[in-house]
Amino acid sequence: MPTDLDTLAREQLSRVLRDHPDPVALDPAEDLVQTYGITSLNKVLFLTSLCKAAEVGLDKFTEDDLAGMRTLGNVVDALRPHVARKG
Amino acid sequence: MTESIINRIIAARPSHDGAITVAGLGHRSTMPLAEFHDRARAVAAGLRRRGIGAGDRVGILSANRLEWVLLDLAALMVKAQTAGFEPGKFSPDAELSERYGLDLLYTDVRLPDDVPARVLPISTIADDAQEAAAALDTVPVEWGATECTTVKFTSGSTGVPKGLEATVGSIDSSLHAVQSLFDHRPGDDILTFLPLSLLQQRYWLYSALYWGHDVTITTYQSVFAVMSAARPTVVMGVPAFFDTAKRHLESQIADGIEPAKAVTELFGDRIRYLWTGSAPADPAMLGFYGEAGVAIYEGYGLNETCITTKNHPGAHREGSVGRPLPGKEIIIDDEGVVCVRSDHPVNTAYTYAAPGDSERMFRPGGIVRTGDLGRVDEDGFLYILGRADDVIVLDNGKKIIVRPVETRFRDTGAVAECVLYCPSQAGLVAVVSPHPGPVDTAAIARALGSVNAASEPDERIVRVIVADEPFTVDNGLLTSQFKPIRKRIADRYRDRIDDPKAGINAH
Repeated sequence: MPTDLDTLAREQLSRVLRDHPDPVALDPAEDLVQTYGITSLNKVLFLTSLCKAAEVGLDKFTEDDLAGMRTLGNVVDALRPHVARKG
Repeated sequence: MTESIINRIIAARPSHDGAITVAGLGHRSTMPLAEFHDRARAVAAGLRRRGIGAGDRVGILSANRLEWVLLDLAALMVKAQTAGFEPGKFSPDAELSERYGLDLLYTDVRLPDDVPARVLPISTIADDAQEAAAALDTVPVEWGATECTTVKFTSGSTGVPKGLEATVGSIDSSLHAVQSLFDHRPGDDILTFLPLSLLQQRYWLYSALYWGHDVTITTYQSVFAVMSAARPTVVMGVPAFFDTAKRHLESQIADGIEPAKAVTELFGDRIRYLWTGSAPADPAMLGFYGEAGVAIYEGYGLNETCITTKNHPGAHREGSVGRPLPGKEIIIDDEGVVCVRSDHPVNTAYTYAAPGDSERMFRPGGIVRTGDLGRVDEDGFLYILGRADDVIVLDNGKKIIVRPVETRFRDTGAVAECVLYCPSQAGLVAVVSPHPGPVDTAAIARALGSVNAASEPDERIVRVIVADEPFTVDNGLLTSQFKPIRKRIADRYRDRIDDPKAGINAH
């Protein structure tokens, strides 16, 4: 994994958002839909890109998992165990 | 008429190698269509055991899954009608069963303890599919061309969705016509992700059973995650889906990835063409895919007409929605409204609708008056100019077709969607759906200026209301096919539309 998960997640979310805000400015506790206006289609694109960048298999997650990822923090928490296990 | 596809696919176990894949985040399963057919027969036997047969109606309220299509084919096999309900828009209660005359309802919604006896979890279909189906052999069924296999519901721009029964003749005719244009064949894999409650999404299963290609079913929540691994040759989408994909691809390309590689990483490496319809496509979006070397074909049709015109490899004209399919005829009436005559009409009236709705839409002779304004060029290509309902008549008598102005605003790239209203004669007011992320008010103001500069004086937009959140299916402002629901948007933002001080003012 090229860099830490939190930074990767911020970068990937910024890329999905229209105006590519500064990744550092993104708040991990804010709601992805309410605050960042992310759509269902964009959310899965974000997860797909992040999994690829973090070298985590997308098959680790279900649609229910995706629905439960309401914030950036949720996404990072969901991926972290799989990143750690890779050693 | 040529052979009935519906009757053939229920009667004959496929002898080809076509397969069905059902995929989503975290799961993927593939089975030969011959085995799928066996399982559907077992499900049909289960339906019979529950007393379901010809003339009965089975409701399905569920997200896309294998059991959905097993049940659909099984219902065809026992000559029961299906009623597909879009998830999230209906509840599996006694009222639903009563209102739509359901003899049985299958759902993936978690059921309460006091659920009516005729409502069953759709997961039970998986058990039925494992049973033997020998008993069904003694009772073959055949559908007549004017009999209806299913009730389909309009996405519902207002109030209660209208229900329309679809004839076997219309389904057979549409499938034969599409096949004559696109020649789907073994080796093709058609990917579909929109709700299976939309009849057209099930067409691709019927097509696969008949012509021996593969079909992949997923959900819109998962489609971007599964597409590249599924390696479809055809993706059945709508403009909003391809717009989202385009923005993602543009971001990849900006990072230095070759366009062809970016497309392959998202769509897989076997794309033959992309299918778009149900809503007008942004010319810039269509152009983007063309430049990336991926064919994309826009078409036109309503629930009431089925697929009516389509661009295709043999006849494609930019800006048009294609020529009529075999069996369809376009007539532009005196008011410029597109009317569609079908050799095999979907139906001649709604089954569920408010008084007067059927008369407004269906005309004698298999003709549907669509309400869309259009023109046909000298070579028979249809161009959609807007909705007759969306014509605003100003006090100077001038009629404004709002769609081109809305498209102009959307094409600036500053907003995801634009819907125009005329609350007073002061001028047009736009409600725009922002892109995800922080709203760039300055960019929208600049876009407003450029749109007005490119428009006729009477088309001038005096104010723009930026919606509090993007229009989405979930917040009820887009249909399941991602079309803005004009009336609902107006209802939600009525105060600001009517308030001359609200929003961004044109200078």
